[in-house]
Amino acid sequence: MARPHIEPFVDRDVPFKKMTLPGFPKGMHYKMLSLDTDDGACTMTCLFEPGYRQPPGMSYTEYELFIMSGSIKVGEKVWGPGSYFFVPAGIAIEELSSPRGATGLIFYNYGEPSFIESTRDHKNAERNRFAAVNSYDDMQWTSTNFYPATAPGCMVKILRFDPRTQGFTFLYCMTPNFWQDNISYHDCCEEAYHIWGTSWMMQFGDLPTGGYFWRPPYINHGAFASKLGILAIGRTDTQLYNHFHFNPWTNIEENRDRAANRIMQWKPDLYKWINTHGHNHPIDFEYDHGHAHGDMPHHHGDGHVEHNHKKKRRRR
Amino acid sequence: MKFIAHKRSRAVQAWLKKEMSEQKNRYLKIVGEQEALTPKRDKWISDFLYRIQTRGVHVHSNQMRKVAPEEIPVKPKRKFKVVF
Repeated sequence: MARPHIEPFVDRDVPFKKMTLPGFPKGMHYKMLSLDTDDGACTMTCLFEPGYRQPPGMSYTEYELFIMSGSIKVGEKVWGPGSYFFVPAGIAIEELSSPRGATGLIFYNYGEPSFIESTRDHKNAERNRFAAVNSYDDMQWTSTNFYPATAPGCMVKILRFDPRTQGFTFLYCMTPNFWQDNISYHDCCEEAYHIWGTSWMMQFGDLPTGGYFWRPPYINHGAFASKLGILAIGRTDTQLYNHFHFNPWTNIEENRDRAANRIMQWKPDLYKWINTHGHNHPIDFEYDHGHAHGDMPHHHGDGHVEHNHKKKRRRR
Repeated sequence: MKFIAHKRSRAVQAWLKKEMSEQKNRYLKIVGEQEALTPKRDKWISDFLYRIQTRGVHVHSNQMRKVAPEEIPVKPKRKFKVVF
């Protein structure tokens, strides 16, 4: 993924813009939070005007929608604040309308925003992966269950978990007077949006309601504190591991080097095997080889970590 | 399937180009704002390094340990930045 480090950015400081991309009905507005310069994947705050109507249709990329205020109607069902949708690429959802208006967040995960009117799923769409839940009414807070874990007072609701990448989408909260005195970084990209409340990080200062960040891997963040508490939604693209430490001045290279060294300590046999020539193209027997578009990046030992395979021409 | 290959129209390409340009400006603004925060941040760091010696540093959940003075890192001479 190629998004710059956007941290912090407060969307309350900028106005909504009309969505003008082809296919989208009138009445949708957005604020761009971050955009992948390679594939157009992006995260946006969105606003549906009262009376907004979107016919049944699909997107070329999987996307996630979270309703923050107001309500939308999908088919006959009304979804209010806290509603979360995970929509795989090519899944045609029913008519989406918002009689009284709504605001939310949209995450387009693997390509630019797209909407194609259709009452039928794309032939390759994975309908079984579609998910919809009201996270405020139908889910409860749990501890983070990571090791090492964040300080008590930070709790989560897991909205989506990808078993292959271990990337996940989650609501998180901090209780009033939350504090955590360490510095953290992760091997994954991490993004978050403050639905309500202000938290503080030693590097970036206050992140208020409407505050957002997209943080690439290995960037220091923390210590942390929140006087009155927060409610936020967060996402990672792969597994989140808390590499805690207390050196405020380390840089990305040093943090990545430390993470690699830790893998060497934790999984020495695997680490050695991966580093041996010819073993840099591991295959997971539970999945296809991995050349399908949108699958995990991999390399063939030529230093190109991410690449596409051109279709071979058949000999006649 | 996470993505369906398709051809981008000119309108989509133009939209992306405009958004990328605006994002570049947003990024530069953030870098400037964060540099301006340096004096405050230096104080926050100083306070943090004091607290982890007196109250402790979080290791896991509510487990904390006090950091010895000789463990406290020294600020390197290179330029320090928080936005990459």
